[in-house]
Amino acid sequence: MAVEMASHSQVLVEEKSGVRILTLNRPKQLNALSFQMISRLLQLCLAYEEDPSVKLVILKGLGRAFCAGGDVAAVVRDIKQGNWRLGANYFSDEYILNYVMATYSKPQVSILNGIVMGGGAGVSVHGRFRIATENTVFAMPETALGLFPDIGASYFLSRLPGFFGEYVGLTGARLDGAEMLACGLATHFVPSKRLTALEADLCRVGSSDPTFASTILDAYTQKPRLKQQSAYRRLDVIDKCFSRRTVEEIISALEREATQEADGWISATILSLKKASPASLKISLRSIREGRLQGVGQCLIREYRMVCHVIKGEISKDFVEGCRAILVDKDKNPKWEPRRLEDMKDSMVEKYFTRVEEEGEWEDLKLPARKNLPAIAISKL
Amino acid sequence: MSDNRALQRVNVLVNHILQSTPPSSNLSLTREICLQYSPPELNESCVFDVKEMRKLLDGHNVVDRDWIYGLMTQSNLFNRKERGGKIFVSPDYNQTMEQQREITMKRIWYLLENGVFKGWLTESGPDAELRKLALLEVCGIYDHSVSIKVGVHFFLWGNAVKFFGTKRHHEKWLKNTEDYVVKGCFAMTELGHGSNVRGIETVTTYDPTSEEFVITTPCESAQKYWIGGAANHATHTIVFSQLHINGTNQGVHAFIAQIRDQDGNICPNIRIADCGHKIGLNGVDNGRIWFDNLRIPRENLLNAVADVSSDGKYVSAIKDPDQRFGAFMAPLTSGRVTIASSAIYSAKVGLATAIRYSLSRRAFSVTANGPEVLLLDYPSHQRRLLPLLAKTYAMSFAANELKMIYVKRTPETNKAIHVVSSGFKAVLTWHNMRTLQECREAVGGQGIKTENLVGQLKGEFDVQTTFEGDNNVLMQQVSKALFAEYVSCKKRNKPFKGLGLEHMNTSRPVLPTQLTSSTLRCSQFQTNVFCLRERDLLERFTSEVAQLQGRGESREISFLQSHQLAEDLGKAFTEKALLQTILDAEAKLPAGSVKDVLGLVRSMYALISLEEDPSLLRYGYLSRENVGDVRREVSKLCGELRPHALALVTSFGIPDSFLSPIAFNWVEANAWSSV
Repeated sequence: MAVEMASHSQVLVEEKSGVRILTLNRPKQLNALSFQMISRLLQLCLAYEEDPSVKLVILKGLGRAFCAGGDVAAVVRDIKQGNWRLGANYFSDEYILNYVMATYSKPQVSILNGIVMGGGAGVSVHGRFRIATENTVFAMPETALGLFPDIGASYFLSRLPGFFGEYVGLTGARLDGAEMLACGLATHFVPSKRLTALEADLCRVGSSDPTFASTILDAYTQKPRLKQQSAYRRLDVIDKCFSRRTVEEIISALEREATQEADGWISATILSLKKASPASLKISLRSIREGRLQGVGQCLIREYRMVCHVIKGEISKDFVEGCRAILVDKDKNPKWEPRRLEDMKDSMVEKYFTRVEEEGEWEDLKLPARKNLPAIAISKL
Repeated sequence: MSDNRALQRVNVLVNHILQSTPPSSNLSLTREICLQYSPPELNESCVFDVKEMRKLLDGHNVVDRDWIYGLMTQSNLFNRKERGGKIFVSPDYNQTMEQQREITMKRIWYLLENGVFKGWLTESGPDAELRKLALLEVCGIYDHSVSIKVGVHFFLWGNAVKFFGTKRHHEKWLKNTEDYVVKGCFAMTELGHGSNVRGIETVTTYDPTSEEFVITTPCESAQKYWIGGAANHATHTIVFSQLHINGTNQGVHAFIAQIRDQDGNICPNIRIADCGHKIGLNGVDNGRIWFDNLRIPRENLLNAVADVSSDGKYVSAIKDPDQRFGAFMAPLTSGRVTIASSAIYSAKVGLATAIRYSLSRRAFSVTANGPEVLLLDYPSHQRRLLPLLAKTYAMSFAANELKMIYVKRTPETNKAIHVVSSGFKAVLTWHNMRTLQECREAVGGQGIKTENLVGQLKGEFDVQTTFEGDNNVLMQQVSKALFAEYVSCKKRNKPFKGLGLEHMNTSRPVLPTQLTSSTLRCSQFQTNVFCLRERDLLERFTSEVAQLQGRGESREISFLQSHQLAEDLGKAFTEKALLQTILDAEAKLPAGSVKDVLGLVRSMYALISLEEDPSLLRYGYLSRENVGDVRREVSKLCGELRPHALALVTSFGIPDSFLSPIAFNWVEANAWSSV
């Protein structure tokens, strides 16, 4: 049945009656999303939406990752060559894909059997069903890279229980499948050995009414045990500290907690905040806070403004520096600028949220018109 | 026959969905043929930057506002509920009075633990004050009870200690108040005296042998009434009382008295009773207090203005009792400032809800088999809501301006603040009540459900027209102040300065006899009409009062007799001040779409104010033809504002979760699956 299985293709497509199985196929790069993959995914999603024979879309990854994120290495190459606008085009297409998925009229099932980070979350979490397994490792590591949780993360992180979203988005903490399910990032948990059977069952779905897929998924899902030292069991501390008004106050609240009892988890949390880019932390916090009050489209428009400022590098060049230290030189010793939180002034933060003043025709992200939206998509607008 | 009718009905519905001429045969009723909610976001365009407009309207501390909105949505204490796939937070008004009071207190504890009140009394300066005002406004958008309970504690009790007290009081109380170690209330109003504070009957004497004050409620009409916080929670109160020293009444003074111990037991020599269930604000525990010769230490007199020495001598730097009373009351302006701005946020909740609903709800077809018409596409519906929207915009800028002059206050600006805050408080709170009623009707039966807020808010906010000064009394004070200003300038032959009366120094504006559309929309023309009206009414008022005085009436009686002109003048003054604030806001903007739309809004504000005021015809500022032109222009402006309606209410910056289910997917919210 496969129409397109060429091994060089970065997105493999299988057609099984009313179901389309899309497989991210760049295993050596942990399926990091290339420009080509994003364009292809967008093209396929839009086509399937128009095609009445398609009832359900499954998205998965080849190899040990679902998708480790966007192809930031390529974007940094563009920036270094003085072409931040090329990078902006990449993000623009990526966010439009996120928006289409968030407002998709047909159910999308993402099988997260491995690494899900950054852009990988963007092509899965917005969809209707997200299947975690015992192999799932989820993280939004952007603040350590000098970026911020984008791809609509300010929409979905801010809607996690309490202030767990701030915790996940600022610290880059890793979550396993059980934690993803507990906090709502995943909708189901299925042991990996049952995935083949699940997929076969899903391929029998003959309607785009999500209750059909839901019934099948419910039959496979398990309730995994949350590990003893899971951050999700510390929601009280997280709520108490990550609800604070500013990043500085969050850190000092954590430090106060740490003095009350020695605790490895709190120390690790503080350490990850101290290692992250101060500029990233501040814009990320504000982005999540704004996102909590905005629809998914507004979130992506705002994030697009932010990411353009990030790659343009006029306020801070932490993105290029972070990628150098973590991805290229791998010395894990980024030299952030501004160096300290207090040097990242409110007025500098503010700039990330304004339109980009640019000679030439920079424009806000233009979201495609959507129609026939299901109620769940309407509620996200 | 009946079959035909049924088929015709089905056709109407189908047209409604497809919005086109349908095939007329082979129709079957399937699940799809049914009213669908179509989100206005997808159908309405937006020509200006909503975020920019929101910044202008909120005016300050936008990030802090978003923070506290988030604090509320993320906590289970704020009655989170899901409707139609969206999360909403708003109080459960079906709870008993007792439950509402307890949950309101719990919500305040939560905000306290999260650092919301940090610095509210221990930090000073415009930035700290504006931040506090912004956070209080958001509390009020969630629930008026929360903001009133917080407001009583910080702005009445806390500010009384801060402004009437001295170092010893500050050290003892301010930090403890900020941390809610003590819970304060403010006992000023009595059963027999409200707006007339100087007439209160509570009496305090001094006992030099024990160096104590003795507070007494001498009669039933002297019982303290409506004291927010007194019925359940407050541990301390400010007591306003006449101070009798050696048989001389030194006038109204403020004292601190403890009314409950830390365990919540009422102290000896205090009696407290509940004010009972109210038409709204049931989260606030209003109580009544009687003092039975309550003894308090001498140090508990708030002595910034006057003091009593240990041997019982009265000392005050201000000799004139009138001035002393004025000095006492000056800091209380903050109440009127916060009430004015919170009234406008309430009106915004009503309008955002009603306008969003009117962009998704249809009723009646205008052609046979045609689709039903969207409510806001009816010119009559536009006329009901859009002028109120424009007024809300103007008043939003006015509330911001009032806050700015308040936080930058100096002794010289006290008078202006008093006059402006009186006028704005009255006009803005009346506007809110009128807007909520119109919005309630505009959303039809859905407005009756408390869950949908608009109807409930009427009860919750009604008291604003009364507390911190009855609106009618405040408006009379505006006219009296203008009278005094006029008389003083004329007597000393000095030019007018302040209160926006400078236009009186120039010649009387002459209005064109023919009013074209462009004249009517011109800011200079609008300013001229408003100035002319204010000037003429002020002259009429002063001459009428002078005439009455000439016939031997006292000044007070003359004022009372001239109440009709006083009312017209107070309104003319306030509406002109409102126009000025939106003109100022507009003038600061660079050319662009925000400025253009704001210009339309301002013209709508100006023209609807003219259309609604009979004094223009009564005194002949405009001719009958002119008034007809104004009316036609209002109608035209309705049509021009219609395309911006959604963007204009989105710019209010009130998060979806603080509106209500009818503002969004009301079909899904009411679906059987969510029963």
